[in-house]
Formats: sequence, structure tokens, C-alpha cells
Amino acid sequence: MTETPVIDVCAVGKRYVKYEDTPTLVGHALRLRSRSRRSALWALRDANLRVERGECIGVIGRNGSGKSTLLRLLAGVTAPTEGTVTVCGQVAPLIAVGVGFHPELTGRENVYVSGSILGLTRRQVDERFDEIIDFAEIEGFIDTPVKFYSSGMYVRLGFAVSVLADPDVLLVDEVLAVGDLAFQMKCFDRMQAVREAGTTIVVVSHNLNAIRRLCDRSAVLHAGEVRFDGDTGEAIARFHELLGETRELDGDTGRDVFRSTGAARLSRFALVAAHDGDAQSTVPTGTLVRFEADLECILDMAAPYLALHVFHESGVLVYGETVPVDGGMRAGEHRHVEVDLPAALAGGSYSAELLLVGLDATLHAAPPSPILFYVAGRDGVRGVTDLHASFRLRPR
Amino acid sequence: MAAYRSRSARAKGFSLSGPSTPLPELVRGLWDARDLLALLSRKEFFVRYRRASFGVLWAVVLPLLQAIVLAVVVNRFVRFDTGGNFTLFVFAGTLAWSFFSQTISGGTTSIVDNADMSAKIYVPRALFPLVVVGAGLYGLLISTLILIAFVIGAGELEPVRLLLIVPAIAVLVVLSTAAALLLSALHVYFRDMKYLVAAALLPWFYLTPVFYPLDRIGSLHGVVEANPVTGAVELLRAATIGADHGWAVALWWTAGWTVALFALAAVVHRRHDRNMSDLL
Repeated sequence: MTETPVIDVCAVGKRYVKYEDTPTLVGHALRLRSRSRRSALWALRDANLRVERGECIGVIGRNGSGKSTLLRLLAGVTAPTEGTVTVCGQVAPLIAVGVGFHPELTGRENVYVSGSILGLTRRQVDERFDEIIDFAEIEGFIDTPVKFYSSGMYVRLGFAVSVLADPDVLLVDEVLAVGDLAFQMKCFDRMQAVREAGTTIVVVSHNLNAIRRLCDRSAVLHAGEVRFDGDTGEAIARFHELLGETRELDGDTGRDVFRSTGAARLSRFALVAAHDGDAQSTVPTGTLVRFEADLECILDMAAPYLALHVFHESGVLVYGETVPVDGGMRAGEHRHVEVDLPAALAGGSYSAELLLVGLDATLHAAPPSPILFYVAGRDGVRGVTDLHASFRLRPR
Repeated sequence: MAAYRSRSARAKGFSLSGPSTPLPELVRGLWDARDLLALLSRKEFFVRYRRASFGVLWAVVLPLLQAIVLAVVVNRFVRFDTGGNFTLFVFAGTLAWSFFSQTISGGTTSIVDNADMSAKIYVPRALFPLVVVGAGLYGLLISTLILIAFVIGAGELEPVRLLLIVPAIAVLVVLSTAAALLLSALHVYFRDMKYLVAAALLPWFYLTPVFYPLDRIGSLHGVVEANPVTGAVELLRAATIGADHGWAVALWWTAGWTVALFALAAVVHRRHDRNMSDLL
């Protein structure tokens, strides 16, 4: 016998009417509605998703891909325009924790209010009150109004209430971006425990490492569609391919054009495999990759420098190098830039940018957007680089 | 964790397709959230006086002051033959009017004010105007007790007549609830509602027999009689110093308005409950 899924999203679409076209009183009365079909926007279309009890599923996608809409539908705060959303059990959203906290109320009072919002009875909150306070690490401040709480305390208390409300479905939206590292670790552990106890978890995050750590399965949303649903590793690779595609479609976004001197132009910035020159967005660790771009010189430059920066998804500069362009450049000159780089990187998302700078670090040119790529790492390697340590165990 | 597996009584799970929420489901949702309603109402009321040194005492002093000032001022210009204590006459009127006006002005914006919560977690949106009503009940209870104390103090006590205070308060609360439910939902879609209500309250006050008897308004009598609040004011007055002439008609109007407002509120909430957060 197959168990019914805890979450069943069946052929779901959600259409929004653009804000400027929402009716006003007068407009409505006079039927001045300019609400044509053009102003409708499908935030989600024909989405299907089934999640079983105790599963932890990640949802990844760019901003505006429909992630938040999906979460709102799962939380039940909005109804689908078409299709059916079915959720069995109590849903607790961790979407921006601290929902319903009243600033004038004390931490203690807010725990009771939030608990009640999440469907707990007074007695149930009594039972777990100590554990909540203990988990949130706010012992000394339970009777202080939460408006005097630090943002960390606020978030910790919100997280504690949501997790300890012991929901059937936990919706997590970027919550891992908050709190210090120790608290984040605690949250991870707690979520594992909650999951083992049978709670279904849906995680939406831009932090792909967090997704990889928590979820075996992930769905990739793109332009309101579920483009992929399956193994998290594959999902992340698919997500990066999509990032590459959209950038080509978006074309020049004009990034950095305003702050550059305009003395040169870098275009057709691409990442290719060094051995065959094919464009790629997923890089096997340890292979040689090549960044290439066309450089067009508009004004004379006496001493330009080329710089390559590689950033980890956490914002850490993994590697940067600046080299002088010997002999300067003349106006009208065209060059092809190639930078070979061994991808000694651990698994994760990275971005690379190529810049042409002057002596005093003035920016002469930058490509319209950095390149985003995903490194398929080796199992067991963590961090930002893969330095290929060798382990030996010798008998003594 | 296993110890917590006994779950709450709240209904769990949902299946959504299409925009409207069946009415029985809405009512059940509200019923399931009754503990939350009580909790939020209590907090809402007490939070208001939290940082004030005199605290809840203000809830006693303000309505009293309002009635006395109005009685004194009006008395300087006109003498109405109210057949009893004029301050008491005005107090019964201001009590009903303040509850009604505060409930609908607070109620109108309630769903929008709670947008933050609405966008994150589902409770029937009708809960928010109900919380405004619930919080108002505390003040109403205090005012009513003062009113009764006044009735006794003024030597107007007639126990049987005073029993009418129960249906009087009930009519007032039910009418205000119906209006708040409808206006709160309309305000989500038409943000002019808040200002319309604010603008309407001033003439509305003068068209309500708060400081004059129902039969002394002349040509506007028909309008005042059809005013939904009139019936509630008159019933409350009937309970304290005896009603004005012709109050029964006003009460029928009130009943009619209440039913109509509830019906409209049900239609709007049924149709838009789940999708209100799209506009918040």
C-alpha cells in the first residue's frame, strides 16, 4: 500500500495581477479596469510536486522563479489559480521567523501567542516552554519586551517556537542566513532530529551548501516552472546550466558600466573547458578551465592591468590575480583574452569576474555580468579549495 | 520529542483549489482558532495600557470623561426633556457610540494591519476584525459596569428594566462585528475605505441620538431612525433611564442592517479569504 503524500501539488498555477493594475475604489466603480491579459503574471504554472512523510526537499531557483509563491501556497496563505494544493497536517512556516511577535509583549507572552498561532494549546506550550527558552538561549530575557531584543535573540526565539511546535510540515525560507555559526549548527541538528521524528521539511535557500547538506532531493524552479525534481547534486548542476542560459538571454545588463572609465570594453566573457573549448557551467574539480573574453580598447591606456577574481558563493574571494598588460594599449586595438585556471576547488558555486584596471585601481572595463559556475567536488572534501591532501595510515 | 506527539485540537491540513473558501470551512476555521482569538484580544487590550502609569484606569476614566463633557456642553445650549438624569442619558449614548466607532475604525484596517502575519501563516482573515471586537469587549465591560454604578447612584435603578442591558450590549456587539467584518475585507481591496469610514464617522455621530432624544430631531427623523446604531443606543437607554418614543422601529432597522451586513461580509470573505494576502 502506498502512503498518501504529505504534500501534493497537482498541476498548480498561480496568477497575480500586477500591482499597478489592482482596482481602486473609483476605478472599480467606473469599470475603468485596464486589467487586460497583459497585466496578469503567472508566478507558477503547471507545477507538480509530491513529498512524502519525513522527506526533506530543497527548492532552488533564481529570484522571481516562483519559490516564494510555492511556499505561500504550501503555507495555505493563498489559493492556487488552477490545480490543487493538498497538505496533510499542521504547517509551521519558518518563513521569516518571529511571525506574529508583538514588540510590546515579553518573550514569554510572545511564545504563547506564537504557539497558539501554530496550533498549540496553552498546555502544550507549557510543556515545552523550558525547552523553547533553552533552545533560544534567552534565559535572562524571557520577561523583557521583545522590542528590546537583539535581532539574533528575536530570530532564535522565533526559530525555537516553530521547530518545537512539532509541525507535520516545516517550511524553511532562508532561515539559515541568520544567527551566528554556532546557532546555525544547532538549527541544522534540530532540523535533522525533527525530520527523523517524521516531520516533512521544505527548504528554500540560495545557500546551495545548506540545501546539499539538508536535502537528498531538490526541485529546480525556473520562470514559474518546475524544471527538475530529483537528486540534489543533479539539481544544483541543472540550476547552474539554467543560470548560464538566462544570462545569454538577458544580454548586456550594463553592470559596472557606470563606474568604469569607459576606456575599454570587455565582451563575450565565457567559461570553457580548456581541452576542447566547449562552454560549460559545471566543472569537474581538478580540471583545467579557461576564461575567455574579447577586449576592445577605446582610449589609449599607458599601464593597464588584467585582473581575475574567483569568489565562493559565501562571498569569500578564493583567488585573485592581477597582471600588467605589457606595452599598454592603443585606442582601436582588439585583443582576445584567455586565462587558464586549474579548478582546484571544492564542490559548490563560484563566480568569476575579469576586469581591466588602471594603476590606481580605476576600473577601465568589466564584462556585463560575472560568470557563475558550479564545481562538482569530490566526496568528503569541504571548504572552498580542494588541495588534494593525501592520507596515510601506516602500521607502527 | 516523541512525548510531544499528541497534537493540538486545531484542524490540520487543507486542500486548496480555486479561489473561494466554502463558508462552513471558514466558520470551522474561526471556531478552531477561538483560543487564539481570546489570547490575541486580551493582549491587544492590555498592551494598549502597558507603558502608562495609570494603566487600565484610563479605560475607566476616558469614556466617563467623554460622557460628562458632552452632557455639560450640550446642557448649556439646549434643554431636552429626557425625563431623567441627563448625564446618564448621554452616557448610555456615548458608551454605545464609542464602542461602535472604535470597532469599525479599528476593524476596517485590521486585516491590512496584520499583513505581516497573514502573508506567512494561514488563519481565516476574519479573525483580525474579530480580535478588534474582542479587545473592545474589555473596555465595553468596564464602561457598562460604570454605567450600572451610575444608574444606581442616580437612583434610577429598576432591576427588571436593567436586565435589558444584556440584549442591548449583545445587539451593539453583533452589529459592530458585522460592520467590522465587511469593512475589513473591503479595505484590503479598496484602501480608500479607511478614509471613507473616518469621514463618515463625524456626520454619523450627529445622526445618532447620543445626546438628543430620538423624537426631537425633526425632519431628519427618518434618517436617524434608519441608522443602524440608533437601535442599539435606544435599547441601551431603555435599560437605564427608559427609551425615547418610537424606539421599536429603530430596533427593527438595526436588526435588518445587522443581517444584511453579515450576509455581505460572508459573501466577501467566502470569495476572497484565501487570496487577500496577494494584495497585502
